[in-house]
Amino acid sequence: MTNRFFKKTTLALGAIFLLTLMPVAANAGVADIISLLTTITSTLQNGVGQVLSEIQSINTTVRNFEQQVVWPVTLINQTRAEVSQMRALFSSLASQIQSIPTNSATLVNPSQLEQLLRSQRAGSLNQINASYTQVYQALPPANQATVMQRNLIDVDDAFALGALKTATVSDQASQQMLTVADGLEQQAAQSAPGSASILTAQAQAANLQNQAMLQKLLAAELRQEAARLAHANALRKQSADANRDLRNNMQQILSR
Amino acid sequence: MNWTSFNQSAKRAWTVMTWKLILVAALVFVLVLGQMGARAQLGLDPCCAIISAGLNTISGLLKNVVAKPLGQIQQIQQQAANFQQQVIYPTSAINSARGLAGQMQGQLRQMTQVFRLPTASATLPTPQQLEQALLSRNPQAVGQVSQGYAKVYGTVVAPADAPQPIRDLVDMTDAEAQAALKKALELDALADVELAAADQINQQIQTAAPGSAPILEAQASAWLVRANAYTQSAMAELIRVRSIDLANSGAQLKFSATDVNNLRNNTGQVLGRGAQ
Repeated sequence: MTNRFFKKTTLALGAIFLLTLMPVAANAGVADIISLLTTITSTLQNGVGQVLSEIQSINTTVRNFEQQVVWPVTLINQTRAEVSQMRALFSSLASQIQSIPTNSATLVNPSQLEQLLRSQRAGSLNQINASYTQVYQALPPANQATVMQRNLIDVDDAFALGALKTATVSDQASQQMLTVADGLEQQAAQSAPGSASILTAQAQAANLQNQAMLQKLLAAELRQEAARLAHANALRKQSADANRDLRNNMQQILSR
Repeated sequence: MNWTSFNQSAKRAWTVMTWKLILVAALVFVLVLGQMGARAQLGLDPCCAIISAGLNTISGLLKNVVAKPLGQIQQIQQQAANFQQQVIYPTSAINSARGLAGQMQGQLRQMTQVFRLPTASATLPTPQQLEQALLSRNPQAVGQVSQGYAKVYGTVVAPADAPQPIRDLVDMTDAEAQAALKKALELDALADVELAAADQINQQIQTAAPGSAPILEAQASAWLVRANAYTQSAMAELIRVRSIDLANSGAQLKFSATDVNNLRNNTGQVLGRGAQ
């Protein structure tokens, strides 16, 4: 009797033990998993999905803005076409205007000098001196003018010739600069918005060179103007010297 | 009796012990194996169904909420990249622009060389000396200009040879003429510096990228502003030279008026003496 009771008690205790321990562990795992899955789902829907959707919307807006407002392909192509049209219309017109001859001398010697001066070729610089002398005469020999006069004539001729040669050189450089400008315009007609900045930088560098050449011309003009001023002043000095000599001679005559 | 009862008691004890052992073994079996893998093995546990449903939901969300927008973003990005590479920054156009810079440099260097051709034309030693200094493009030769100028155009008239107003006029005129010649020399030297700067900028443009070209453009613009300022300074000098020339013409008239007035006064005095 006691044995049977003991057996029953043991079985009951074992069953209670199993029922108590097992469900507790199982219930806790499922809840955690459900909670975890809910969190993941919510994160995917709200945290990731929503943000991705906004990124997509921003990207679309940026793309549309770039392609329709900032760099519309039709407008880019239209601008290129306009550059080509403008080049064809104005550059040829400007070229025609510039090529109108301005030579006006009628006699042989002046015509020859004029031709050299308007040749736009730096290679003809050496011929200018001889042609200039034929038109403006050579320096008087030492027995026909004073040293001061000869120096003055020589320096006047030198400044005049120097300026004429600089003008000839400048003409050639202008022609080359026009070629550069045409090349830039031609390239602009084929450029893209991204490559145009390279062309602009080149144009600015060419502009700087042009300015430097302009300064060289201006320097020649300054020398010319200074020489004109100095020449007039030298004549005043000569006049003062002549007056002094006259006064001295008169005094000598009167003292006799 | 004793042996029999002892034997029976031992049998009962053994039976009880056997039952206990079986029960403990069963419990250990259930506890150990049941906790470890029974549910997974059977596949009928509600936990597995929940996980499966959850994973399916996650998979669906990844497909629709994550993968779909990501795919569209990728497409947009690809389109944007193509647009940038084919329309905004095509490599061919960039290389072509760089190539032009190379061609241009040759032409611009030729122009610089042309401006270095000798233009000196004086034939006598004294004018030659002055001309050499003036066309030297060397700013250190500025000091030689006054000396060379005095040799060609003379110095200020001595006090005994001309009245003070004439001497002032002559000195001022000489000063301006020399200043203009010195400024011309400086301008030539500055132009050489600018040409060298332009050449260097051109060299950099040949390897420039669309992103770095605006920097070079800004640099060239800055140099251009500087060059304009130098040109402006030379223009001011040119205006001064012409103003002095004009002032000299005016002064000449004033001197003539004074001379006529003096002549009239002197004539009046002479005639007055004659009448007395």
